[in-house]
Amino acid sequence: MTNPIIKVDQLVKSYGRHRVLNNISFEINKGETVALIGQNGAGKTTLFSLLCGYLKADSGSMQLLGEQPGSQALFGKVAALPQDAQLDPAFSIGEQLSFYGKLQGLTTRAARAETERVLALVDLAGHYHTKAGALSHGMRKRACMAQAFIGSPALILLDEPTAGLDPANALHIRELISDLSQHASFLISSHNIFELERLCNKVLYLQDGQLQQHHAQPNESTAHLSLQLATGNGAAAADADEVCQQLRQLAGVKEVTAGRNQEYQVSYQPQVVDDFDIRLLQCLAANGWQYKQLSKGKSLEQQLFARKQAATVLS
Amino acid sequence: MSMMLLLRQIRLFSQVELSRLWLTRRGLMTLAATAVVWFFLLRYAIAPASEILQEPNFQKSLTAMFGMLGLHQLLNWPAPELTLYWMLSLILLPILCLAFTANQLSGDAARGTLRFISLRSSRTAIVLGRFCGQLVVQLCLILLSLSATLIISAVRQGSISWQAIEAALLISCHLLIVLMPFTALMTVFSAWARSSRLALSLAIVSLGLVFGLLSWLIYHQPDAAFLLKYMPGAQIWQLIPAQGWQSLQLAALPLAQTAVLLLIAQQILSRRAL
Repeated sequence: MTNPIIKVDQLVKSYGRHRVLNNISFEINKGETVALIGQNGAGKTTLFSLLCGYLKADSGSMQLLGEQPGSQALFGKVAALPQDAQLDPAFSIGEQLSFYGKLQGLTTRAARAETERVLALVDLAGHYHTKAGALSHGMRKRACMAQAFIGSPALILLDEPTAGLDPANALHIRELISDLSQHASFLISSHNIFELERLCNKVLYLQDGQLQQHHAQPNESTAHLSLQLATGNGAAAADADEVCQQLRQLAGVKEVTAGRNQEYQVSYQPQVVDDFDIRLLQCLAANGWQYKQLSKGKSLEQQLFARKQAATVLS
Repeated sequence: MSMMLLLRQIRLFSQVELSRLWLTRRGLMTLAATAVVWFFLLRYAIAPASEILQEPNFQKSLTAMFGMLGLHQLLNWPAPELTLYWMLSLILLPILCLAFTANQLSGDAARGTLRFISLRSSRTAIVLGRFCGQLVVQLCLILLSLSATLIISAVRQGSISWQAIEAALLISCHLLIVLMPFTALMTVFSAWARSSRLALSLAIVSLGLVFGLLSWLIYHQPDAAFLLKYMPGAQIWQLIPAQGWQSLQLAALPLAQTAVLLLIAQQILSRRAL
C-alpha cells in the first residue's frame, strides 16, 4: 500500500494571463527521491513555492503529510532550500540556524548542537561564527542547505541544490542527499540531468505548465545499454554506420541508434541472451574498437528528450 | 496555532531584534546615533532650559499664557529635565519611530529570509514577533535616554528623588504606548513594500494624504472634526499636560489603533507571495 507524502490534484497557478501550472496532478510516496525537471520558465520554482506555502494556488489541492502547505503541523517536518533565498548578512550563520532550530521547538542547547551537526554535514563546521555576508557564494549556498537539515524533516524540497557549487562540493552535496534519502523523502529540482539520474528514482517532467511525464524508471521487457566509444590516444574513430551494423548482428538486439560524439543506444531483449554485455564487449574487441563508457539503461536525458528531439527532426 | 507556541515564537523574534540592536554593526550604529542626538538635546536644550523653567517669573508667565490649556501642569513634574524630555519625546519620537521601524519585514522578504522562517513559524507569529521586537528595542532606547536625563537632573540637584524615578517610569510607559500605533503602521507598510525605504515613503505619503483629506473634509463638513481623534498620535496633545498614572486611561485609543493595524499587517503578509 502506497503512502503519499505529497498529493497534488488539479493544481492551477497563473501570473496574470500566463498560466504557469495547468492542472498538475501527482503523488510522491514516502521514501522516494523525486526529480523535478523542466526548461527555464516551465513552472518548477512556482511548484516548489506552492508546496512550501510561499504562494497560494488559484485552484486545485495540495497535501503534504496530509496537511495543507504552510500548516503549523508541518513546522519542522517539511524543510526546503528555496532558490535564491539568502540568510541575513548581519548575523552569523550559526546564530541564524540556531534561531531556526529554536523556532522548530528545540532548546537553546539542542539548537546549538543541531546547528553544529548540520554545518558539519555541509562542510562548514568551522564557520559557526562567520557572518552570512562574509561567506563566498558556494559557502552561502551550503549554509542555506544546512538549514534544511535541522531537526529530522520527513520531506525535503531542494530547488537547484548544487547550482553555483564547485564540482567537489557538488559531489559532496549529492553524496549527502543520497545518504539522507534513507531517512527522508526528497523532491529535487535541477538542470543537471546527470545529478538527478544518480539521486532520483522518480521523475516529474514539467513542460509548458503541464506534467509531461510522471513515472518511475520502468522495468521493461526491453533492456537498454548506453555505449560511448573512445577516440584519440591511439584509438581510431569508428564509423558510426559500421558500428551500428555490427551491433545489430548481436543476438537479441532490437535497435541501435547512433548519437553524437561516438555515443550509441542499444535496445535488446534480455530474455534472449543472459550475457549480452559480455557479447557486446567481445564484438567491440573483435573490431578493434575501444570503449570509453558502457552503462546499463537509458540515460535520463535520453528518456526525457530523445522523443522530443526525434519529433523536432521529423517536423 | 497554539497560544504557547505563538508566545514562545514572539519571544524568540524579540530576542533576535534585541541582538540586532546590541550585537550587530547596524544596531550599534543606531545606538551611537541615538546617543549623539540625545547628547546634543540634553547638553544644549534640556540642561539650559531646565534652569529657565525653574525661574519663578517664567513659571508665572507660563501659567498666565497657557493656564487655559493646562500646560502649566508641565511644571508639576518632579524635575524640570523630565518636563523637557517629556515634551521633546512626545513630538520627536513618533517621527523617528517611522524611520527606525521601517525595516520590520520588507528586507527579509526581499532577501528571501522570510522563506526560511515561514517554514517554521506562522505569518501571524512573524508579524507579532517583529512588532514586539521593535517595541522592546525602542523601550531600551527610551530607558537609556531617560537614564541620561535623570543623571543630568541628579548632577544639577545633587540628588535624585523617588518621585523623579517614578515619573521616569510613567514617561517610559506613556512613550511606549504612543509609539505602538506608529510601529504597527510601519509593520503594515513593511509587510506590503519591497524595501524599507519604500515602506517609509509610503507611510509618510499616506499620513500626509489622510491628514490632507481630513482637513479638506473638515473645512467643508466641520462635523467631521471628530475623525481627527482617531488618527495615530491624536492623544499626544492631551498627554502633554497629563500627570500621574491615571493618565494611562488615554492608552485605550492607541492600543485599539495598534490592534487594528496589526490585523491589517497580518492579513497583508498572509496574502503576500514570499
